[in-house]
Amino acid sequence: MTEQHNTQTKNSWGAFKAMVKRDLLVQLRDKWEFVFRVAMLPFMLILLYGYILPRIGLVSNEFPNQMFPGIVGMSILVTGIHGTAIPLTMDFNVSREIEDRLMAPVNVGVVALAKMCVGIIEAWIGGLIVLPLSLIFMGNSLDLTLTLQGGGLLLVVILLASISSATLGLLVGTIIKPSQVAAMFPGFLIPLVFLGSVFFSWNTLHVTPIIQVLVLLNPLVYVNEALRAILTPQLPHMSLFISIIGILISILIMGYWGRKRFIKMAVGN
Amino acid sequence: MTKNILQTSNVTKDFFISKNRKIEAVKGIDLEVKQGEIFGFLGPNGAGKSTMISMLTTQKQPTSGEILINDRPILENPEWARQKIGVVAQHNNLDKGLTARENLTYHAKYFGLDDSTANQRADEYLEKFGLKDRQHDFVRSYSGGMAQRLKIARAMVHQPEILFLDEPTTGLDPAYRAILWEQILALNKAGTTIFLTTHYMEEPEQLCDRIAIVDKGKIQAIGTTEELKELIPANNIISITFSDFSPEFAQQAERLPEVENVVVKEEELLLYVKSAHPDFNQIMEWIRTLDTSLETISLSKSTLDDVFIHLTSKGGIKDDRTA
Repeated sequence: MTEQHNTQTKNSWGAFKAMVKRDLLVQLRDKWEFVFRVAMLPFMLILLYGYILPRIGLVSNEFPNQMFPGIVGMSILVTGIHGTAIPLTMDFNVSREIEDRLMAPVNVGVVALAKMCVGIIEAWIGGLIVLPLSLIFMGNSLDLTLTLQGGGLLLVVILLASISSATLGLLVGTIIKPSQVAAMFPGFLIPLVFLGSVFFSWNTLHVTPIIQVLVLLNPLVYVNEALRAILTPQLPHMSLFISIIGILISILIMGYWGRKRFIKMAVGN
Repeated sequence: MTKNILQTSNVTKDFFISKNRKIEAVKGIDLEVKQGEIFGFLGPNGAGKSTMISMLTTQKQPTSGEILINDRPILENPEWARQKIGVVAQHNNLDKGLTARENLTYHAKYFGLDDSTANQRADEYLEKFGLKDRQHDFVRSYSGGMAQRLKIARAMVHQPEILFLDEPTTGLDPAYRAILWEQILALNKAGTTIFLTTHYMEEPEQLCDRIAIVDKGKIQAIGTTEELKELIPANNIISITFSDFSPEFAQQAERLPEVENVVVKEEELLLYVKSAHPDFNQIMEWIRTLDTSLETISLSKSTLDDVFIHLTSKGGIKDDRTA
């Protein structure tokens, strides 16, 4: 029995690696699509709010500092959701390419995990693309604090943020149909970003208490607040402890629900 | 005695289309497929064929009943079962982001094979299915026939014991169908059990060892082609054409001895008789009494088509109940 279990584990690991590799290979073949998809939104926001508006004088020179953690968090979350959700819904509903993977002799949860892993890797790449862009356009206005301990915490938060984005992507990918992908941007990603404490800290929302409570449903709020607590502790921010708890809860809820929906789609009913 | 590779008992599947409305797509199917045979699963559209294949291949769960592969229940061991089976779906579900070769090597790796075995198998099956020259092309550039061959090659890469083919030759021209059949037969000869559904009646008639005819979610008959033909009341047909046809001829012909059934097909009279050597003298005598002259007369054996029509009520197209 143990031997069979070991073979099963070995097979699952091999299948998981192959599935991740397959998705990355297909994505890499269209690398410019990836670069545009990941970099364009943060680039435009950085250019407008971090470079042009402060120069015109419409926002203060402090603003880039306020916005930087938010842009990093947003890039990670949006890239991860996008990287998981869109290929998932396309594979399931249009090309039905995923059927071959679902017929692999492994638990169908492995297929879901592989999809999420690709989302996580893409989320990291998304974060990495935004860093140099930010430094180039807002470098002069940034006043970042990063200690050694902060660096370690930063990696933990980025890892959690990318997992959260992949779980959210898994859930969204099992909910939306390919015909609804166009509506996903205005209907889901835009509210997620604009009410995700990207440009301001959640604490400052006390002026609109109802909105301040409602946005607590948005996982991006916790990601951005955690990044603020580490990168710009001098500015108002949610406590790091609470924001990390927030990210963890979002991972658990979205992951559980997403996995359940995925298995239902995979095995039918 | 050859052992059963696949066995089902009382398998049912209900679909709920709303809270109070359910469709019984499969209503209790018992099957036994023997190791090494080619088993045909025939039925009109909406008979429950695709639903049944989905359940046999772990893609859908039955509402009730048991499915065994090599005497082991697949519901409790779906991962193990998938190792034993290969599935060729009706639609093109090849990985369009990959080349033909990658479709095979990645499939092999999903099944836990290492790089070198995966490559070795890819070489073997690309060669077997005549796709070596186009192995590095993306599958989106493949014709329907090539895609179909690649789908079968992919399903074989992990060397399953039983291969499920859902309408494998639909949409292919006759020449390509013949090539594909040659390849399927070669796989069978090498030891793979084949389970297939098809619309074309002449294919199972020629190629299947045993056939199940399914309609309205139930098996209507099961056996060899010859055994199935025994099920229709008379399995020899005398076809007659006249220079001037009158519908009255049919009524008169019914009174002839030996004739079990009469069908008019586009001014052609079909007389169903039991004997393989009917008394033609009596028929000729009757024709001479008619106010017309004989054009052609021939005797043929009934085909699986006739059995199919006989067993599946109208035999024709019914509403599609399953995808």
